Amino acid sequence: MPVIVMASPKGGVGKSTCAVLLASEFARMGADVTVLDCDPNKSLTRWASHGAPSGVTLKSDVGRSEIVPTIRSADGDGKIVIVDLEGVASQLVSRAISQADLVIVPMQPTALDAEIGSEALALVREEEEALGRSIRHAVVLTKTSAAVKSRVQKELEEQLSGAGIDVIEPSLVARAAFSELFAYGGDLTAMMNDPEMVTGGKVDKALANAQAFTEAVYERLK
Amino acid sequence: MSGSNRLAGLTARPKGTTVEDVRRVDEVGEARGFLDRTPRKKPGRKPSPRTWQLHPKVFPEVGEAIAVEAERLGITQGQLVEQMWESYLKAR
Repeated sequence: MPVIVMASPKGGVGKSTCAVLLASEFARMGADVTVLDCDPNKSLTRWASHGAPSGVTLKSDVGRSEIVPTIRSADGDGKIVIVDLEGVASQLVSRAISQADLVIVPMQPTALDAEIGSEALALVREEEEALGRSIRHAVVLTKTSAAVKSRVQKELEEQLSGAGIDVIEPSLVARAAFSELFAYGGDLTAMMNDPEMVTGGKVDKALANAQAFTEAVYERLK
Repeated sequence: MSGSNRLAGLTARPKGTTVEDVRRVDEVGEARGFLDRTPRKKPGRKPSPRTWQLHPKVFPEVGEAIAVEAERLGITQGQLVEQMWESYLKAR
């Protein structure tokens, strides 16, 4: 089963959020998901400490020397491996990309995110050349506005598409529920069904966004 | 169609995991600034464990008493020995 790697040398772009949403939605679809937390901030470990959804197994503290054998051992029939990486340009990132079936590069619709995120895209292409195999990769825009598509976002989407870069639709909207997942653990479905969880946002809209995003990722894994 | 049936169709492509593959990936990454950023261990010799032994020839109870007194005064055993040496010289 496939290995999905979240990569961007920039921090705070939404790598961990993407990883949590994909892990919980694929698990809900019946997959056995292994999540590798390679980020020193341990966002996913914190999320799982509050209770990971059924079907999700977390492995923490995976470093540069362990990443390749850990992915290899986690990969297997009926399993999806999701790798959440640190937001720096490191060998850990380049090694993880080499083991990916799909590299997702999250980007906020800002010029800075686009510029730094493009380093990850360039690295994927160079690794494809060095390894002699194609590594599917796509950009997902994150923390976008639910109300309107900004001019910067439109321009960025045009530039990415013009450069032949696959852009995942839908983007991930800035939703309070996505942030709250790290405080409550579990998944959005559990959050929606638990009246004691206070998110200050529309969980149903967040869930619909996460499901549509997961569906778009699934289409790229086929 | 249930979710698990849909997922059954997903497959992983074979990937290179040999030492040579990893070396090639590291080279490509390093050329683009993706370097080994594993935190380095603190350089230098690690401090020896404290044995509270002042000298092999000092009786253990004397050594321990000196260690306790030095700790009470908030100084090292060496500093306490220096003070004792000054007292000795004055008394002589």
